[in-house]
Amino acid sequence: MSVLTIQGLRVAVGDREVVRGLDLTMQSGEVHVIMGPNGSGKSTLAHALAGHPGYRITGGTAEIDGVSLLDLSPTDRVRRGLFLALQQPIEVPGVRLADVLRAAGVDPEGLEGRIRVEAERVGLRPDLLSRFMNVDLSGGERKRAEVVQFALLRPAFALFDEVDSGLDVDALGAVARRLAASSQEWGCGVLVITHFSRLLHDLMPTKIHVVRAGQVVTTGGPELAAVLEREGYEPFGAPSSDA
Amino acid sequence: MVPFRESALDFVRAQPDAAGRLAALERFDAVGMPTASEEVWRYAPLDAFDLDRYALATTAPSAPTTSLADALSTVAATTIRLGDGFVLDSGRPVPGVDVTWLPAPAGADLEPYASDAFSLLNAAVTPGVTTITVRSGVEVPGPLVIACGAGETASFPRVHVVLEPGARAVVIEAHEGGRESLVDMVGEYDLGAGAALTLVAYQRLDHTAWHIARTTARLDRDASLSHAVVGLGARYDRSRNDAVMLGSGAENVLRTTFFGSGDQVHDFRTRQYHVAPRTRSTLLSKGAVADEARSVYTGLIEIEHGARRTDARQTNHNLLLSPQAHADSVPNLDIRENDVVCAHASSVGPLDEIQRWYLESRGVPRREAQRLMIRGFFLEMLDALPPAVAELLTADVDAALGALEVAG
Ligand SMILES: Nc1ncnc2c1ncn2[C@@H]1O[C@H](COP(=O)(O)OP(=O)(O)O)[C@@H](O)[C@H]1O
Ligand SMILES: [Mg+2]
Repeated sequence: MSVLTIQGLRVAVGDREVVRGLDLTMQSGEVHVIMGPNGSGKSTLAHALAGHPGYRITGGTAEIDGVSLLDLSPTDRVRRGLFLALQQPIEVPGVRLADVLRAAGVDPEGLEGRIRVEAERVGLRPDLLSRFMNVDLSGGERKRAEVVQFALLRPAFALFDEVDSGLDVDALGAVARRLAASSQEWGCGVLVITHFSRLLHDLMPTKIHVVRAGQVVTTGGPELAAVLEREGYEPFGAPSSDA
Repeated sequence: MVPFRESALDFVRAQPDAAGRLAALERFDAVGMPTASEEVWRYAPLDAFDLDRYALATTAPSAPTTSLADALSTVAATTIRLGDGFVLDSGRPVPGVDVTWLPAPAGADLEPYASDAFSLLNAAVTPGVTTITVRSGVEVPGPLVIACGAGETASFPRVHVVLEPGARAVVIEAHEGGRESLVDMVGEYDLGAGAALTLVAYQRLDHTAWHIARTTARLDRDASLSHAVVGLGARYDRSRNDAVMLGSGAENVLRTTFFGSGDQVHDFRTRQYHVAPRTRSTLLSKGAVADEARSVYTGLIEIEHGARRTDARQTNHNLLLSPQAHADSVPNLDIRENDVVCAHASSVGPLDEIQRWYLESRGVPRREAQRLMIRGFFLEMLDALPPAVAELLTADVDAALGALEVAG
């Protein structure tokens, strides 16, 4: 059992603080969802946790089992257990997925076959993954390619940023089921950023965190989704201003 | 050691076609060795160059380097082996293909080289012209390999490849060896109407070599040339590639790629010369320089009056892998016709930091991420080559990158 603990996290983009004292805790095997209005800092949180060079941590902590992720290189963060699937995956011309996974230390034995199996699980044509990374892939294909990477890297925790964007209904179901299964298969802690409450049927999260202006303002059970659906984010109150 | 000019004269006098060679040597004398003050030579380390340091190759070497030749011969229809420009093995017979050995060019054939000292010198002292003719309508089943090994000499290989109308072939020109050498190469390629040639020119000479190559392709009506030039070796690697679109509908795609480390200099020059209407040319140049290596890409698009509906493009990307490395990009246009499309794009810079982070965030260590990206920079080019050659060159690129330290 592992635990991911984020406490009082603050992140700046340029000279603007976008994540402003964010707290979140989850255990291995749990499925959590983060919902929040556009611009509330969800992607900023995701990028900062993964060590993106454009984001500056200005305060707080993020740890797995007491080991600070923020002191680690981006490579070591994922190796230590936190994987990020991007909202907008990046093209890397000339570089192929299989080479990346091998360089990342994934067991090379039968790798191509395992990539194929994982692609099929999320309804992605496997041959798309022998192209250069994300080059000439549609938005939805890129999102599913991220899920394939996730499945082969088998991280302790994974954060999926706007997993629904670009996916059709069928693909969305397949992706949600793949994520849910990972919590059984290797006890993965799955954290999903989404606007799409339909996703919750397949994902079956235990907790929903509502983020506004860079803070978690409410955490509750799956029943929160229905409230959000009906009333929007307004009832969930403003974040404390000084935080 | 005998001064180079003296041994050149002795060699020329002893040849059966001495008259034409003497004319070329006289022209060479008149033009004189280039100096760094000439614009087209400003990137060459001429201070460190002295023709008299080299012994002219007057016989075939006894034991030339052949590892590249051997590797290529496994995928070739035939392999013609040259040593210091001399034919060592004219290969096995291929139906519809004639391989002959002709005297050095003279007179009118030298006009295009009128002011080019190294090409004139080649015409004077080349052992002879290796000539390959692919007969009309013949499609050669595998690559024709011209493998040139160089010894510790000044050598002057010269090839002339003719594709008669409708012929199709893949030709691979490969250069290896050449410790402390000068390799001064001239290649001429004539493509008849509707002929299609895939040409790969690859050099992985020793890093002490001077490699000076000039290749000219002349394309008749509807001929098509897909040409790749790859330079990994040499201290100074100068490669000039001209494509002359003489017949309407002719098309040339040229990809040039190089990798420089240590104090290497890659000096790539191209000329896309459109004489006839409805001709197309595309140049894609990608090079990377590390350590204190330098590169220059100088590309000229020249369009004659009357070459209407010409489409000519240049793209040049340079990767800088250390703060001391330097790359220049010099595009030029000379257009004497209005009804044309021309485009140019270029970039010079380090590895993309966000792409690198993306790979790191998949669990790839930084050094490995850099290596994958640099390799990827080349793979984009090598992927377009015939598969057997692509595999070999990819392995060579991997080996060259293996030792690389990247800043950042
Ligand atoms: N790279 C960036 N440059 C400038 N502003 C940014 C950048 N990334 C995010 N922001 C700003 O930070 C705020 C939060 O953005 P983001 O984290 O992407 O929100 P969300 O993912 O919740 O929609 C927004 O106001 C956005 O404009
Ligand atoms: Mg976002």
